[in-house]
Amino acid sequence: MPTSESSPDGNDPGLREQIAENQRTIDRLNRDLARKSNDVRIIQQISSEITSTLDLDEVLAVVLRAMERVLGFQHSMVLLQDLAEAKLRVCASSGFDPSGVGAEVALGHGVLGVVAERKRMMRVGNVGASVAYFAGIRARMEAAGEIAPGGAVPALPGLAKAQSQLALPLLVKDRLVGVLAVESPKANAFDELDEILLTIVANQAATAIDNARTYQMVEKLGRLKRFFSPQLAELIVTGGADDPLKTHRRDVTVVFLDLRGFTAFAETAEPEEVMSVLREYHAEMGRLILEHEGTLERFTGDGMMIFFNDPTPVSDPAKRALRMALAMRERVTPLCERWRKRGHELDLGIGIAQGYATIGAIGFEGRWDYGAIGTVTNLAARLCGEAKPSQILVTRRVASDAEDLVETEPVGPLTLKGLAKPVPAFNVVRLKS
Amino acid sequence: MIPDKVVEILRGPSVMQVGTRDANLRPFHSYVWGAIVHEDRQTVTFFIYENRSRRIVSDLEDNGRVALGIAQASHEAYQLKGSYISSRTASDDDYAFQEAYRSKLCAAIGQVWPEEMVKRLFLGAAYRPGVAITFRVEEVFLQTPGPGAGSKMA
Amino acid sequence: MGILPDEIKPAMQGVIPSHIVTCSRDGIPNASVISQVYYVDPDHVALSHQFFNKTTSNVRENPHAVACITHPETLETWDLELEYDHSETTGPVFDTMDMQIEAIASMTGMKGIFKLRSADIYRVVSVIKNADERIQP
Repeated sequence: MPTSESSPDGNDPGLREQIAENQRTIDRLNRDLARKSNDVRIIQQISSEITSTLDLDEVLAVVLRAMERVLGFQHSMVLLQDLAEAKLRVCASSGFDPSGVGAEVALGHGVLGVVAERKRMMRVGNVGASVAYFAGIRARMEAAGEIAPGGAVPALPGLAKAQSQLALPLLVKDRLVGVLAVESPKANAFDELDEILLTIVANQAATAIDNARTYQMVEKLGRLKRFFSPQLAELIVTGGADDPLKTHRRDVTVVFLDLRGFTAFAETAEPEEVMSVLREYHAEMGRLILEHEGTLERFTGDGMMIFFNDPTPVSDPAKRALRMALAMRERVTPLCERWRKRGHELDLGIGIAQGYATIGAIGFEGRWDYGAIGTVTNLAARLCGEAKPSQILVTRRVASDAEDLVETEPVGPLTLKGLAKPVPAFNVVRLKS
Repeated sequence: MIPDKVVEILRGPSVMQVGTRDANLRPFHSYVWGAIVHEDRQTVTFFIYENRSRRIVSDLEDNGRVALGIAQASHEAYQLKGSYISSRTASDDDYAFQEAYRSKLCAAIGQVWPEEMVKRLFLGAAYRPGVAITFRVEEVFLQTPGPGAGSKMA
Repeated sequence: MGILPDEIKPAMQGVIPSHIVTCSRDGIPNASVISQVYYVDPDHVALSHQFFNKTTSNVRENPHAVACITHPETLETWDLELEYDHSETTGPVFDTMDMQIEAIASMTGMKGIFKLRSADIYRVVSVIKNADERIQP
């Protein structure tokens, strides 16, 4: 046994200090343990609150309330990833003035952007000092001509003088949903325990936010599907690479249809009767449009404009348009019979043209429509206007594109309003057997 | 000869530290509370806390190698390297010098860092009893991070 | 039980710059300031290696180093006697340091210019809290 020069009676100052030190360690561990078990209870409560709603704003509000009131973080924010672009947007914040909501952060920029890009948590306790250090080096490198003077670096949301930042990726499995961040003007304000607590909150929040977003998307999809074709609705909701509402030019086949005799019918019949006829007609036409993957651009009373090849490209748009038109004619014939028995002289006329149109959102804030503009739409509308009962009038290009599909007979050339030269037109007789 | 610019920074106030090493090439460190540049502009005396001086002086008596680092809050920094000449217990005049130096240091660094923390940091660091160490500067290096860092100035 | 106590961790957040002394193989000491000594585990710390300098080259020829770090609340200094072990260019320690540097670099227009070459891992040989070097008020 090793001998010690100091006496073991507790009077030795070194030994006394050692005992006191041990006691301090035990006290600290006890405090940490108490804080931990208390924190675990709090976290469980927050978790159940977070996951109890499908409303995104509510989820964010619960998260931020918990951050401030329960966990004691004075400045916190949630950024969500923009689904279409590589950036984050502040969606909710607490303890910031201004709130910063709506501010954007590019992936890879600043603590928040790098956390999103790497999908890894980051805790920094000396942001201000580090920035000053780097900026100093930058200035000296610029002065020495080693690097070109840099432009302004985009401002980041958050405290102007944040010294500490703790940012966590919001992940569902390995997919980034957003970033949860807390800040402090004090250096070294966050520790490992904060990391653990916030990791739990972040995990819960990520799942809740993702669920709420999915729910929101399904809801929005449901609403959009009432106006748009399912393809277009889905494209809008997912914000796919090609935003269908962004103005673009595309070669499309445009189909115009309306009911001959409808104006006279609407003037003389009871409104209820008009609505009943329209509902029947719209229901049947709508089903056929969906079946043939056409995009309903608009309907005005008895008139409808449908196009093919946008927003989703389809093969053989002209043939699809013709198949749909023939199916419509076939379906409307018995309807017309029924209407005739009720005293209404109504007949379907269809015009089809193909060519480039400018397509995108048309309207103003609060009322946007998806529309196509171009000679092709005008031409299809005029052909529809010229069509006699049950005629499907098409342009030469449509007729030749579909010559192996349908039998046509020339009618024309037709002099159409708004077009300088007479247009050769073809009536579609039947499908080739 | 120490360049003018470095003499100025040495006179401070700057954060300074000394590095030495023992016979087994194990380094040691101490904060330095002020330095005096002698008239020859080559000899420098600096002050350290006595606790630290035991290992420092023993290293210096073994091999005489001194490295004195000087840094400002702006990150402007230099390093002087040289050989040990002598050491002695700090005098009352030296303490007065160190006290004045520490006040100036607080004022300067307090411009950049939280002043309250700077005061606690520097004024709370023990310096008495102190030891004065004199050495001959043989090389001067630029240590400001960025272009030319590490280059020899003299 | 590792050698680094928990209470030292706040001193490894880079709030107060640290000082490090190394020594070349031919016996010339080198004193320099570093912004942060990173905590790796109870027996290891890491220093960021961004530029080649005397510290990085010295420890590659003589692994002994001493770092003096300061606790940002108590303001006590700690001496860490270190021995350079190896350098890492991948893995969690490197990533943690690298993303911190990238974040700050991107905020100062230095992305791509200022980057981490490696995380230099040091074994902690001894830790001393310089409690008796504070003047008690």
